[in-house]
Amino acid sequence: MIKVITINNVTKHYPGNKRAVNNLNLSIPDGEIFGFLGPNGAGKSTTIKMITGILPIDEGSIIINGNDIVKEPLATKKKFGYVPDRPDVFLRLRGIEYLNFIGDIYDVPKEIREEKIERLTKEFGIYHDLNDHIHTYSHGMRQKIVVSGVLLHDPDVWILDEPLSGLDPKSSYTLKQMMREHAARGKTVFFSTHVLEVVEQLCDEVAIINNGKLEFHGNMDEMRDQFKSGETLEHIFLELTSNE
Amino acid sequence: MNKTWNLIKVTLKMQYSSVGKSNSEKYGVYILLIFLIPFAFIIFSVANTIIQEMYQVLSPSGNESLILGVTFLSLSFILFLVSIGSILSSFYFSEDIESFIPYPFQPYQLMVAKAATPFIHLYITTAIFFLPILLFYGAISHAFFLYYLYGLLLFLLIPVIPFILSALIVMFFMRFANISKNKDRTKVFAGLLSLLFIIGINVAIRLNQDPGQLAEMLTGALQQQNGLLETLTKFIPTAFVGTMALADHDTVKGLLYLLGMIVLSGLGILLFLTMGQTLYFKGVLGLNEGNKSTKNKSISRTKVVSHHVWITYVLKELKIIFRTPTFLLQCVIQSLFAPVFLVVILLLENSASLGELLANFEGKYVILILFLVTLFILGVNPTSTSAISKDGTDWYLNLYYPISMKQIITSKIIAAWMINLLSILLILLASLFLINIPTTILIMWLLLALEVNWFTSLVGTYLDFLKPKLKWTDEQEVFKSRMISLKVLMFEVGIFGTIVLLLWNIPIIQGLWVTTILLFLLLAIAIFTIHYLLNKKIAEKHYQQI
Ligand SMILES: Nc1ncnc2c1ncn2[C@@H]1O[C@H](COP(=O)(O)OP(=O)(O)O)[C@@H](O)[C@H]1O
Ligand SMILES: [Mg+2]
Repeated sequence: MIKVITINNVTKHYPGNKRAVNNLNLSIPDGEIFGFLGPNGAGKSTTIKMITGILPIDEGSIIINGNDIVKEPLATKKKFGYVPDRPDVFLRLRGIEYLNFIGDIYDVPKEIREEKIERLTKEFGIYHDLNDHIHTYSHGMRQKIVVSGVLLHDPDVWILDEPLSGLDPKSSYTLKQMMREHAARGKTVFFSTHVLEVVEQLCDEVAIINNGKLEFHGNMDEMRDQFKSGETLEHIFLELTSNE
Repeated sequence: MNKTWNLIKVTLKMQYSSVGKSNSEKYGVYILLIFLIPFAFIIFSVANTIIQEMYQVLSPSGNESLILGVTFLSLSFILFLVSIGSILSSFYFSEDIESFIPYPFQPYQLMVAKAATPFIHLYITTAIFFLPILLFYGAISHAFFLYYLYGLLLFLLIPVIPFILSALIVMFFMRFANISKNKDRTKVFAGLLSLLFIIGINVAIRLNQDPGQLAEMLTGALQQQNGLLETLTKFIPTAFVGTMALADHDTVKGLLYLLGMIVLSGLGILLFLTMGQTLYFKGVLGLNEGNKSTKNKSISRTKVVSHHVWITYVLKELKIIFRTPTFLLQCVIQSLFAPVFLVVILLLENSASLGELLANFEGKYVILILFLVTLFILGVNPTSTSAISKDGTDWYLNLYYPISMKQIITSKIIAAWMINLLSILLILLASLFLINIPTTILIMWLLLALEVNWFTSLVGTYLDFLKPKLKWTDEQEVFKSRMISLKVLMFEVGIFGTIVLLLWNIPIIQGLWVTTILLFLLLAIAIFTIHYLLNKKIAEKHYQQI
């Protein structure tokens, strides 16, 4: 199977000499929804920030769709869209201005923009808020405007950091639906979470990370198989992440 | 009481904590303080002269205590004005009140804690204005220990009433006036007012600079309107009571006045805590930022616009500067202050003669002076020195967008350059209509100014890029207690000041053309060098480390 993201022997120290990510190897297949599971402080955000080029990589390399994020940053960055865990972006811009800004930097043609902005924001119920400044938006609305921005340029890989926290059930459902649609069109969705149910509902494949180390990687059935059958996912998760 | 004290400590720590400030910043503050020492001496000697002259005129008629009266009165007025700004920022603009509300604090405890920062400002102000006068007056009237003791107690009490007066007025306005509905607009409004105030004071000072003359004028006015002053002091009771306490410190009457002062201040504090609670908490909660448009307004198709990436990024920068009140004040309005001030001075002076004077000067010297003035005016603009810092937590967005870092930084330089164009335009208009500078010189200057503008914008952005302050919660922190503006100015004026000095004194270099071209080339070399350094930093991926 074609791998769309390959993480090779990646290690990351923060100042203070803590290994936030420790010799991580992971490859994410094309056209699937991939869950990156781990407790708080496991190193999920750190890994995602290295994939997206926000943090420098201490050791190892990361390839997205054939491009190295360090060596060819611009070509690589055009291929993914990223929804950060903290969606407070450009609070002084209006919603519509933010989407136009994204459209400009990702070269989205005007006609496509018109159609998509209307459709996406109506689905999320923020269409009528587009003329307001983003700092008047609630947490959920901010997340929705960022997600709309990503789907506007329709990237090959969609990377989300804890996307469902702070969303109400309806918005959460809409977002999951959008993730499924994205994967159904042959594109890849990579997201992190500390919530098990989300992984169970959504994912084709899952990786579990704890203390910066990869503890498990496989599909959902393998995950259940590898551990004593009959045990709930919750038990497995607790077992994997309990040491230390 | 213990809780209140803790709360005060927390609020003060959030304001003045030295955590996150580098050593060089701390040393910078010390250096600045050392520079201020001679300035303080000037103020002292001026105050001393004024007091001595007034004392000589007033003491024969036994009216010397009027000096104290004037002091208390004007001090109360100054403290009142200082309070307004300080109260607005501590009680209304700082974002932390909402985070304190959920905790089980008594409302009066929050009020006391919020008052701590303004009171520090007030005591500093009082120390600067009151203590020297207290000392000089004491020395000249041969006062004894009791006088200084009373003076010290009064020092502690004076700020109370002006603070409470302005607090109640501000809170009343914020509670009932419409401005409180929009925090952003209030911020800009308050900033503009304080700017006008500064300009006014400057003009007033320019109009009468000679301390001896000033003292004469004051005593003259006092002698003529003896009754008026007393009425005025009685209007602000503490000014009157304070004057009497200090003037009669050696009698029982003085002691009674001092006790009166203490009682008045105590009553004031009670009034503040009771009335303030209703006014303040009703006014501050629900103070929302910005306007939310009414719903059901559909976006028109024309709102979907597309621009080239360069344009869209520069536009984004400008929009954020113009829409964030603090940025608008610091980067645009305050940077226009210097040119506006220049215009005011030109209007006050006989500016036509200045034009003649310039015409008689040789072109070389005129352009050198204009060059330095321009460098200074453009160099102090903080748009570039906050280019990266302004982004705050938004900075990391730049790291995953598919735009090259070079383009991002260049866009920020362009934005700073464009904002400085406003200053250049103002100077240009002033020179055209007020000074009559010869056209050739004006054109040369304009070309140079555009290049100087790029130089200052570049240097500021580069230095901010090396060490930006991204972890702020209030926009003020981007500008407050950062030494970068001073560093940039010292760097720019240091280098080009020396160059101007050299050019000025080298006799071979003659004439307007040669000088302009030389300056142009030297600037170009400087710009090229700094671009080179900047590109090197970008290639090292410095941007991921900040
Ligand atoms: N900027 C930082 N500086 C120092 N340590 C950090 C920083 N960010 C994260 N860490 C540490 O790295 C580890 C991994 O954090 P993170 O990747 O944010 O975890 P999560 O899986 O919850 O997203 C944590 O122990 C955290 O304390
Ligand atoms: Mg995280």
